[in-house]
Amino acid sequence: MFDLFSDAAKVAAQMEILSSEYGFALWETLYSLALEVLFAYVIGLPLGVLLVTGERDGIRPLPRWLMAVLNGIINLLRSVPFLILMIIALPLSKIIVGTKVGTAATIPPMVIAAFPLVARMVESSLREVDQGVVEAAQSMGAGAFQIVSKVLLPEALPSLISGGTITVATILGYGAMAGIIGGGGLGKMAINYGYYNFKFIVMWAAVIGLIVLVQVFQSLGTRLANKCDKRLSKKN
Amino acid sequence: MAAIIELQKLCKTFGSGENQVNALQDVSISIEKGDIFGIIGLSGAGKSTLVRCINLLERPDSGSVLFHGQNLMELKDKQLRQQRRKISMIFQSFNLLEQRTSLGNICFPMELSGVPQKIARQRALELLETVGLPDKAEAYPVQLSGGQKQRIAIARALASDPEVLLCDEATSALDPKTTGQILSLLQKINRERGITVIIITHQMSVIEQICNRVAILDSGKVAEIGAVEQVFSNPQSQAGRRLVSPAVAEPAANWNIPIARIAFNGGASEAPVFAQLIKQTGVEPSIMGAATRNVDGKAFGTMLITLPEDEAKKQEILSFLNGCQGVSAEEVRENV
Repeated sequence: MFDLFSDAAKVAAQMEILSSEYGFALWETLYSLALEVLFAYVIGLPLGVLLVTGERDGIRPLPRWLMAVLNGIINLLRSVPFLILMIIALPLSKIIVGTKVGTAATIPPMVIAAFPLVARMVESSLREVDQGVVEAAQSMGAGAFQIVSKVLLPEALPSLISGGTITVATILGYGAMAGIIGGGGLGKMAINYGYYNFKFIVMWAAVIGLIVLVQVFQSLGTRLANKCDKRLSKKN
Repeated sequence: MAAIIELQKLCKTFGSGENQVNALQDVSISIEKGDIFGIIGLSGAGKSTLVRCINLLERPDSGSVLFHGQNLMELKDKQLRQQRRKISMIFQSFNLLEQRTSLGNICFPMELSGVPQKIARQRALELLETVGLPDKAEAYPVQLSGGQKQRIAIARALASDPEVLLCDEATSALDPKTTGQILSLLQKINRERGITVIIITHQMSVIEQICNRVAILDSGKVAEIGAVEQVFSNPQSQAGRRLVSPAVAEPAANWNIPIARIAFNGGASEAPVFAQLIKQTGVEPSIMGAATRNVDGKAFGTMLITLPEDEAKKQEILSFLNGCQGVSAEEVRENV
């Protein structure tokens, strides 16, 4: 490994790759991340809400079999290893985005892997909301939709943001694996150049980029969650 | 006057088989407009279930809940929600929205019913004035004390302009001084706005301070119901006696001496009953237990005193006591 570093020509070649491709890889990582998080929440958020409201003594109980099916699907998707899930789901990409390769193709499998996580995260956030507050809203004549939109979600907001931060970090991690099936971004850079082609400088640069991204998102998320949590606000 | 709320033969059972709990058994209570109605019982008596049945947060298994003569049990979901706005509720744990300011909390029920924001805000500010916290509009619940939180909860409950206010152990989490203030506020609301108040509590003092009528709930059944003065001064049921004078209701089994139970049923507090008893009969009774209260200058409660063995002397004492206004006495035999 140190031989490679000592070889000035190879170092220069790697620097060349970095300077020409790093920016684009970072961009690809960020935009696929944004799309994946967006769609994971489009599916996962309502699902998480249903998991709480549809319970037997929830605010709008659903048939027991339906709840069992929802829980079953989520558990199933959560237990299949991501790498396998991704390969199984690739044909779906062909249907949805029209291709089985490239960054766009990795988005559907990523969403399928991430939405069950989001659903569980949302579920546990909503369960933290004091049942008494829900009862108070019911006593005021609130309907199920009003309870979700005006009580459960706003009261759980800090916790939802924390969950969102975890989701972002997890999806960033999945992104590296998506590199294996041709997804673009820093993860692909690390695997393709670094691991497969022994360009360790490129690999480390990509990995460090991912580390920095996770750090940034984590601290932003934590700060945002704290800022909007009125239970923590300072005394007047 | 017509009953505003009438509970007819409510039954509610939780669980089944061995774990079955009969929370309510044939509970019938009629509450009139303008009442401050207390429902008292020990924990587990079914009070909380009962109050939740009034706005159907809990659905009784059978029976009916009439509000202005209309059976709420027969209403569709949407109509029920409409009616619930006229029956507000406050809670032991306040149940404020923690991510909203006081003002936001008070506006909440108006938001639910679609009151325009500007009008809601104006009304919320007035209500803050009513509950005595005009400077706390922008404070979040975490910044408020327990008493202040309950005041905000009361303001929120009033925001929908209700006819009935249900209070579920609303003062149980508060210290005695704050409890007094909250009760005065409830009394003021009852007087000034004509809102019927229904109070669930396990604290005698709460009933005494503001209720005019009371029902005693015991193991899911109404043990006794009537005017507070009457029920408290001379409870007819075992549960009533246990509540009114827990200390002296039952003489200990190992007292091998004759005991008299004296009930004070609202005679003048300052009447020197004992001084006269001693002067007139020459006995020297010993007080074995007492729980008496002074309500508006009237004495209420029970006392246990020793009696001499001599049968004639006993009768003399009892007849003297029974001759005093608002006092009744009897020898207690059951456990001696």
